[in-house]
Amino acid sequence: MKPPAQEPGLAKTVAELPRNLWTSIFRNPLPSSDLGRSATSFTNFFLHIHPVKVHQNTLRPLYTLGLGLISLFLFLILAVTGVLLMFYYVPSTGQAYDRMLDLRGSVAFGTFLRNMHRWAAHGMVAAVFLHMCRVFFTGAYKKPREFNWVIGVGLFLLTMFASFTGYLLPWDQLAFWAITVGAAIAGYAPVLGKSMQFILLGDYTVGQEALLRFYVLHVVVLPALMVLLIAVHFWRIRKDGGLSRPEEPVEDKPLYSMKMVAGTTGLEPGEKTIGLMGFVRGPFTKVGNVPDRSVYSWPNLLIAELFVFVLTVAGVLVVSLLFNAPLEEPVNIMHPPNPAKAPWYFLGLQEMVSYSAFWGGIGIPTIEVLILLALPYLDRRPIGVGQWFARERLLANTLFLLFAVVNVILIVIGTFFRGPNWTFVSPW
Amino acid sequence: MTANPPATDKTSRRSVLNWLSSVALFGSAVVSVFSNLVFMKPRATYGAPSRFSIGRPEDFPSGTRISLDARRVCIVREGDRLAAISTTCTHLGCIVGVAETGFACPCHGSRFDQDGNVTGGPAPKPLPWYSINLTPNGELTVDTSVEVQQGAYFQV
Repeated sequence: MKPPAQEPGLAKTVAELPRNLWTSIFRNPLPSSDLGRSATSFTNFFLHIHPVKVHQNTLRPLYTLGLGLISLFLFLILAVTGVLLMFYYVPSTGQAYDRMLDLRGSVAFGTFLRNMHRWAAHGMVAAVFLHMCRVFFTGAYKKPREFNWVIGVGLFLLTMFASFTGYLLPWDQLAFWAITVGAAIAGYAPVLGKSMQFILLGDYTVGQEALLRFYVLHVVVLPALMVLLIAVHFWRIRKDGGLSRPEEPVEDKPLYSMKMVAGTTGLEPGEKTIGLMGFVRGPFTKVGNVPDRSVYSWPNLLIAELFVFVLTVAGVLVVSLLFNAPLEEPVNIMHPPNPAKAPWYFLGLQEMVSYSAFWGGIGIPTIEVLILLALPYLDRRPIGVGQWFARERLLANTLFLLFAVVNVILIVIGTFFRGPNWTFVSPW
Repeated sequence: MTANPPATDKTSRRSVLNWLSSVALFGSAVVSVFSNLVFMKPRATYGAPSRFSIGRPEDFPSGTRISLDARRVCIVREGDRLAAISTTCTHLGCIVGVAETGFACPCHGSRFDQDGNVTGGPAPKPLPWYSINLTPNGELTVDTSVEVQQGAYFQV
């Protein structure tokens, strides 16, 4: 029979309380061995999103440029600052603009938080787009990562839509005319266009219903969808074998096959295949003939992530200290500002709709998105993966660069070369 | 050990049930998504009324071109003829301004002549004309839900 466990005295219980509490929360001590490093990634809820080991290529700053992580961290900054701003915001046409002024005048750090939210949003649109360019130019969308590219395109569209619904909320001149134009563009879609416009606005004209709808989309629906897609995006990175990387040079070892006498299966007489295990003699098995170039996630990957995080936060803080988020005049439904310009990332679209509402606002963007979605299913050649601007992918890279440059040029024209009544003006 | 019964009957009944329940499940999913869309479409709106009074004919002397921006119409009077031309751009819904040559849109540069015909820019259609009526108490009303042909003036 086991003797009953020794009852610890009260003094001992109290003395050991802090340590017991600590070890109950953090079950692994700070790791000092490889086993500990594995266990840290493996058993911690917040860290187990990481693999225990990552390939060295994943940690090369010049390979990823950290763009995916920057996008994620900007999203987190947006979530935190966004929730804080919600405490002072009222989605009502009568109050929204006054609340913006209150944020400036009578809320501690109000201006600063709004600046952070606005500039992080602009940064996220840029970072997500650049991340897509990185993935294309390194051929990372190829098999088996095709569907993760598709999810990425979805996240890009959600980012754009989230920023669109966001800049309507101050209910200033930009907000009102952007929502008017944006909803009218939706109205040009074939067949369902007019119903879509009506459901989006909740009315025939832009007003309280539209503000409320865009608010709900902005603070609940779109962020929820984004969290879901981000989770799937990350999960698939793991399941697709980590970040893309160049194919490893395979060491030249003899193939394990030999001819043996008296085969009995469907092979040629005199031939027999034998599994690898049949040749193992020593006390260990060496799996694969590729040198192991992976490192432990703790601390290597974690430090890299922390570095990008600090850099991202620092960038947003500096920009928010230097520049105030724009706030235009309160809504005046009599007079659109002239010219009425969207934020920079929509000016390429605005430039296109100034030629044709259907083709610029619906036709060409739809075709562009469909091509982006189909890309990994059209480009099936498994070459040039994991390498920037691989020579074998010259044509594909040139086409995508052209696509990116055309969009940038349209944005530059819309930003600097368009004056009152959207006429061509020289910025000089 | 039980002998397997003839496979065909069992399999067929099971597959029909599988098929039916799949259709029911999928169908109810479709119906609930559709009903949510219906929910999103309001049955009544709080927007501005489409019929409104603009004043008496004397308020608009001949040669008047007044843009009632809050109502989004421009009232034109030539001699004893009156017209109400929409000032909502047919391109993407901005309010066009009254210009020397007609109307000009500040958003994407559409231009219209005095009668609302497109003279430049991306607008696909001319500005519509709305019906004007004289009420028994001598006031003019514009009904933006009724479009009339271009040039169909209201005789005062």
